Amino acid sequence: MRFKSIQLMAIGAVAMCSAFNASAETLRVGMECTYAPFNYRTADGELAGYDVDVAKGVAKIIGADFEYVCQEWDGMIPALLANKFDLIIASMSITEKRMEKIDFSGPYRFSTGQIVGAKKTKVNLFDDAGNPIPGNFKGLKVGLERATTYASWFEDKLPGADVLLYDSSESLYLDLQNGRVDLIMTNPMKAHLKFLSKGDGAGFEFKGPVVDEEKYFGIGVGIGMRKGQEALKQRLNAALKQLINSGDLESYARKIFPFKLHKDVWGQ
Amino acid sequence: MLTGWWDDYLWGAVVVAKVFAASLSLMILFGLIGAAAKLSDNPVAQKIANGYTVVFRGTPEILVILLLYFGSAIALTAVARLFDPDVRFVDVPPFWAGTIAIALIVGSYATETFRGAFLGVKPGSIEAARALGMSPLQTFIYIRIPEMWRIALPPFGNHMLSLVKDTALISIIGLNETLFVAKQAITVTGKPFTMYIVVGIIYLGFSTLITLSVMGIEKYGNRTTVGAR
Repeated sequence: MRFKSIQLMAIGAVAMCSAFNASAETLRVGMECTYAPFNYRTADGELAGYDVDVAKGVAKIIGADFEYVCQEWDGMIPALLANKFDLIIASMSITEKRMEKIDFSGPYRFSTGQIVGAKKTKVNLFDDAGNPIPGNFKGLKVGLERATTYASWFEDKLPGADVLLYDSSESLYLDLQNGRVDLIMTNPMKAHLKFLSKGDGAGFEFKGPVVDEEKYFGIGVGIGMRKGQEALKQRLNAALKQLINSGDLESYARKIFPFKLHKDVWGQ
Repeated sequence: MLTGWWDDYLWGAVVVAKVFAASLSLMILFGLIGAAAKLSDNPVAQKIANGYTVVFRGTPEILVILLLYFGSAIALTAVARLFDPDVRFVDVPPFWAGTIAIALIVGSYATETFRGAFLGVKPGSIEAARALGMSPLQTFIYIRIPEMWRIALPPFGNHMLSLVKDTALISIIGLNETLFVAKQAITVTGKPFTMYIVVGIIYLGFSTLITLSVMGIEKYGNRTTVGAR
């Protein structure tokens, strides 16, 4: 009898909370919703950006309904693992470290980093071969986003650097302007569009070359999913290839930038 | 200045109000249960209540919220799978995870407030009630409760302020409250100060309302000499 009442309670709990089973073709997609121009919410409440276009394109091809969940960056992988959503389409780079925990589709966007600093900070941070010169980072405070590819790259390449970690790229730009940090490393496409090309970013510029070392930045940005879903992965990969070969992926990029953000070989 | 973001802030404020209302009721409940357990003669209940106040007063709010949000989903899913292996996942909606988390935290402070207030009821009043031939229940309703809530009200007002400010923490689990609206607006407009100041004004509005209500209730309580010393 006692077992029965526990069972009834559990069934009640399952019914009360939203329970989903495998037969439903609705997939929930996690993204930050605060990472313009890749994924953000407009004043009208509509989700927009490159990641959102990719998600919508993929949903159409695989014939699934996508529901979108806004999740802060720090908790993105834990939330996926806790079943808060099924896919991450949030400009997440495919890295070895992340692949220990989750699976990725093939890439749909480059993943690169570049350092931004004040124009008046006159130091050569990189040698001619494009490698950072640790000595020249002395005395400079560097702002990075927590749990990002940029932070891992910095940790390995410049272990002695004076690093401050932030929760969002918006805070990075704020503190760069405030002078609390001298340099930041971030996504150059985003930095150009949201900061350097605007009034606030007038006194700032890119320092050194675009960094895209595969060990840290991966082969690019992909769709994240829980491990052990080979069939789903195949469907996503086929859909991404179709988007590349049809030219749709390029058109998503050209809505925002005067160039495409992927390599055509990814479509083969 | 806020082109198009007004309505988003309004809905964000509605979310804050809803979380506040729900967590306030739960907070009072947790506080009363905790205080009753601490004042009871049952050593087990006392120990549980002590553990509750130690844990929830001694850990960061953000940690409790994250643990409850992520942990509850994993735990509930594991339980549900015992009975039906086909269940893919059981979710606790962020609204309830966040509300319960902050109600538990502030409820642990309220436990101490209620306990203190209950012990602060003057022995003389209780003796007088007994001398008048009141039963323990009558003493509780007519003497203890009216004296107790007057003692508890000022610290309780502070708990309500903590509660409303804690609602800002739950944007981390994806609830669309005002701080989250601000973050979304900043990434699109690139105006961090404007957007954050609006959040500040909304919270000031809420806390002013709370402070005024507490003042009003205090005035109502002071119309008689109950609990006066």
